[in-house]
Amino acid sequence: MQYRHDIRLYTLVLIAATIFGCTTTNVKVSDQFPVPLMPKMQVNLGIHLDDALKKFVYREKIANTGEWIIGVGAAQENMFVNLATGVFESYSLVSGPDQAAGMDGVLQPSIAEVQFSIPKQTRSKYYEVWLKYQFKLFDRQGNLVGEWSLPAYGKAHKQDYGSSGSALEAAALAACRDAMAFFSFNFEREPSIRQWLRSGKPIVPPTPAASPTTTPAANQTGPTTGIGIAHSDSNKPGV
Amino acid sequence: MNQLSRRTISLFPILVCTALCGCVTATVQQVREAETSLTANDSVVVLGRRNRPSSAETEIDFISCVSKKVSGGDIRVIPEQEFVDALFPWFEPRTAPLHNSDLPELIGQPLLAERIREIGLKYLIWIEGSTQRTNSAGSMSCSIAPGGAGCFGFLSWENDSSYEAAIWDARSGRTAGRVSSDAAGTSYMPAIVIPIPIIARVKNGACTSLAEQLLSFVKNKS
Repeated sequence: MQYRHDIRLYTLVLIAATIFGCTTTNVKVSDQFPVPLMPKMQVNLGIHLDDALKKFVYREKIANTGEWIIGVGAAQENMFVNLATGVFESYSLVSGPDQAAGMDGVLQPSIAEVQFSIPKQTRSKYYEVWLKYQFKLFDRQGNLVGEWSLPAYGKAHKQDYGSSGSALEAAALAACRDAMAFFSFNFEREPSIRQWLRSGKPIVPPTPAASPTTTPAANQTGPTTGIGIAHSDSNKPGV
Repeated sequence: MNQLSRRTISLFPILVCTALCGCVTATVQQVREAETSLTANDSVVVLGRRNRPSSAETEIDFISCVSKKVSGGDIRVIPEQEFVDALFPWFEPRTAPLHNSDLPELIGQPLLAERIREIGLKYLIWIEGSTQRTNSAGSMSCSIAPGGAGCFGFLSWENDSSYEAAIWDARSGRTAGRVSSDAAGTSYMPAIVIPIPIIARVKNGACTSLAEQLLSFVKNKS
C-alpha cells in the first residue's frame, strides 16, 4: 500500500517538474586537456590553485528551464598542470602565493566571472559559455608583480549533442580550452609580465594591499628593483 | 516458389527504403590548383570551420561522415579531435589559420613542423558550410482517444546542403584545390492514422558526393 502511495507521489512530482520546469541540469566539465605545443618560456613558476578555484561551481536559475549548475572547478587542476607543462620551462604546484622557494615566482589563477546562455534565450542554435579568469603573478617573496584578466569563450551547436547538459558541458570545455590557448599565446605579452621577464624576474617592492604576506620573507635572494607594474583589465567577456 | 519468396524477403528492406527515401539532387564541383599525390605513409585530416567571429559552424557529424568515407578509400585519415589535440593550441577556434597565406608561417614553426612530420600529415581539408531547412509546408494533427490514436495530415519540408572543402598542402603550404558539394531534397510525411515519413537524406547525399570527390582529388584521379 505504501509502495503504491510512493509511486503516485513520485509521478506527481515528475509531472509537476515537467510542467513547471523545476528541473536541474547539472554538468561537470571534463578534465581531459591537451598539453600546449609551444616553445617553453624560460621561467620556473609555482602554480597556486586555491580551494575556491578547485571547487568552483556556477549556479543560475533561468525562468521556465529550471536550475543550471556548471562544475568547472574539478577540471582546473588538470587544466593548469597541462598548461604549465607546455608553456613553462618548469613548474610546481604550491600551497600559497608566498611559497616560491627555489622558483622565480607564483602564478595564482581564479575565476572572476561566469556567464552562459542557452538557445532559448538567444534564439540561436548555440549553447555559449563565457569565463573570465583573473591571474596574479607574485615574485619569489610573495609580492605582486602583476594582475590581469583573461576572457574565454566556448560554444556548442545544439544539434551536435544529445542533451542540453552535454551541449553545455561541451561549451564550457571549449571555453576552458580557449582560456588555455589565450594564455599560451598572451602570457608573455601581458605588459607587467613582459617587463618583469625582461628585467630578469626581479623581486618587486611590496605593496601593503597587494602582498599576500604581512611579514617580509626571511631569505631575500634576488635584487630588489622597482620596476613599474601595469595592471591591465582591458579584456572583458564577450569575445 | 520457396526461392522466390526468399528473394522477395531479402529485397524487402531495399524496397521499403526506396519507397521511404525522398529524392536528393547533388552537384559537385572541383577546382584544381596543384598536383596531388599520397604515399602509404601520408595522412590527411578533415577539419570543420569554427573560426570566430563567424557564427556559422560546420556540423560535427558532417565532418565525421566525410572523414569516415574518405578513410574508407585506403587513405589514412586523422580524426579531427585527435589532430586538434596533437597541435593544440594552434587549431582552436580563436587561433586556427583563416587563410592559406597563414599556413607557411605556421608550418615554419619548428615544433609544429616536427609534429606534422611525426603524424605524416600531407593534406589539411577545411570544410565550410551547413545544411539548412529552406522551406516547409502542410499540417498534421494527432489525437488520442480511449478507443485508439491516430494522425491525419500532410507535411513536407525542403533541406539544402552547401559545403565547400579547401585542400591545403601541409608540406608546401599552398592550396591544392577546392571541392564543393551542393545537395537539395524534399521530404514528405503523409499521415492517414499512421504517419509515414519519406525522408530525403540531403546531408548524407552531400557527404557522400563530397567524400568521393575528395578521394579522387587527393589521389589525383581527376
